[in-house]
Amino acid sequence: MSAVAATSRQPVRTRHHAGPLEFVRDTGLLTGRSLRAIPRVPERLLDVTIQPIVFILLFLYVFGSAIHVHGVNYKDYLFPGIIGQSLAFGIIGAGVATSNDMTEGVIDRFRSMPISRLSIISGQVMGQFCEQVLGMVIVVAFGLALGWNPQLTLGHGFELLGLVILGMLAFTWAGVLAGMLVRSPDAMQGVGFIVIFPLSFLAGTFVPIAGMALIPRTIAQWDPISALVASVRELTTPGWTSSGSWPLDHPELAMAFWCLLLLAICVPVALRRFNRTLAA
Amino acid sequence: MTESAIHTHGLTKRFGDFVAVENLDFEVQEGTVVSLLGPNGAGKTTTVRMLATLLHPDGGTAAVGGHDVVGDAARVRELISLTGQFAALDKNLTARENLILMGRLRDRGAAEARRIADELIDRFDIGTFRDRLVKNLSGGERRRVDLAAGLIDRPYVLVLDEPTAGLDPRSRQVVWSTIRELVADGVTLLLTTQYLEEADALADRVVLIDRGRSVASGTPTQLKTQVGQQRVDVIAADTEGFEALSELLWERFELTRLPEQRTISIPAPGEAVDLARVADVVSDSGIGVDEIALRRPTLDDAFLALTGHAAATPEPERQEAAA
Repeated sequence: MSAVAATSRQPVRTRHHAGPLEFVRDTGLLTGRSLRAIPRVPERLLDVTIQPIVFILLFLYVFGSAIHVHGVNYKDYLFPGIIGQSLAFGIIGAGVATSNDMTEGVIDRFRSMPISRLSIISGQVMGQFCEQVLGMVIVVAFGLALGWNPQLTLGHGFELLGLVILGMLAFTWAGVLAGMLVRSPDAMQGVGFIVIFPLSFLAGTFVPIAGMALIPRTIAQWDPISALVASVRELTTPGWTSSGSWPLDHPELAMAFWCLLLLAICVPVALRRFNRTLAA
Repeated sequence: MTESAIHTHGLTKRFGDFVAVENLDFEVQEGTVVSLLGPNGAGKTTTVRMLATLLHPDGGTAAVGGHDVVGDAARVRELISLTGQFAALDKNLTARENLILMGRLRDRGAAEARRIADELIDRFDIGTFRDRLVKNLSGGERRRVDLAAGLIDRPYVLVLDEPTAGLDPRSRQVVWSTIRELVADGVTLLLTTQYLEEADALADRVVLIDRGRSVASGTPTQLKTQVGQQRVDVIAADTEGFEALSELLWERFELTRLPEQRTISIPAPGEAVDLARVADVVSDSGIGVDEIALRRPTLDDAFLALTGHAAATPEPERQEAAA
């Protein structure tokens, strides 16, 4: 293989610097690697499908009979909540999967290869992002099958799509970062359960925020997940407006703000962290 | 001029208060095999991870092919191939898919990556399990795929971190013969191991490290001379036999007595010849023994001999059979 044979055995430099083309190519290859795991470890999809489906059934047919939300059919109230919650749970899913991956030696092999390190992490993010999309499609299809009837104009449809994709990206990045910081997949599961789980309930997900006691109401008014839920609800339910705090008065803006903030923090921190050292 | 493939100077790595690698200097010449030999926690893995640009050194320098691991990490990654202690493969891909992926990540087109993968599958005898998911492979099988994955490009320096740790003896033999083939091919190899026997079998030079520091270095022969010779151990069946045999052997050999283990230890520079001489005396005496065996110096012996305790106890007191 060596072209400069006489003086040194060193092979010629193949990449002086990995440019954008190499980055895209490597990211594609590494995303493919993540995606191939889906049919082989289908239980990874359970988190993003079975869990929301259980919540749908529970709230629609068990608790829902006792919940009355003024001015709207509970089904139409519930599904935006489930979508917001699923987006937020993406942190846990991406975190557990990343944490699992990081404990495998294969990431070290990639890091010691002459490929852009950004592509390793973006491959991870893209793979997780696709899993989240797949999960979301299943949840939405399930909702539509049960009779959820979102009233979307074309403009609102695109706005919703854009916001949901932005949200998924932000939460996937946050999850990938969290997955790199925690010691084990179990720890990630635990942190997710302690932090994300309660926040996803204190977000007008299943019951209106206005009726809550002072402390949970205040938390809920500023909970980023509230902005997700409220955005989806406003865009799919004509005539519905949320209020109570600045983020709830402007949910779409607030959601975009939260997501961009999350990305602005998580992307550089994740890259820095990845370039330095890994726990395992 | 001989090129130095790996060169470290004052290499240091700390994890909090713990100094994993301290002021480590060593060199690997092109085309040679050097073994970093040391017990668990000696800093071997930390050292190779710094060489492979996976960890940043806290002090000193390390260069691969003359390129600094920090300053020109991208070039170092082109030159070095690390096969770690834990299989560096995607467990949800098959053996063959892993090899193809590694080839494609090394800038090969799809068809060429497949061709290279199939060549490696032949060469490493992976054919029978090439389409099984890595997570379902045995330790020895994984190790072979792992080695193959490190050889997609012929690396300038191959680093194998404890390539046989945790393998059964048969798989160890297979890995050894693979490594020997690579060495015969002229690959430059840095090998870490806990087994003196492994360093002896494969390396041109050995760097003995303990608690992050280099304790000794030299050819395996030099090191073994420093460590002490082989010896014959006779383990008597009972205490009376031990005393009687001691009397008997005392006349003919220089010996060390270990009464608690009923063991008589006799230096055996002539290996099998000495073993036969001792065995003759013992069998002529008719005294019952549990075991007569030729012992090689173990890593424990090496550390006893080289970490300063050597002067006080020239004969190793602890007995650990070499594998």
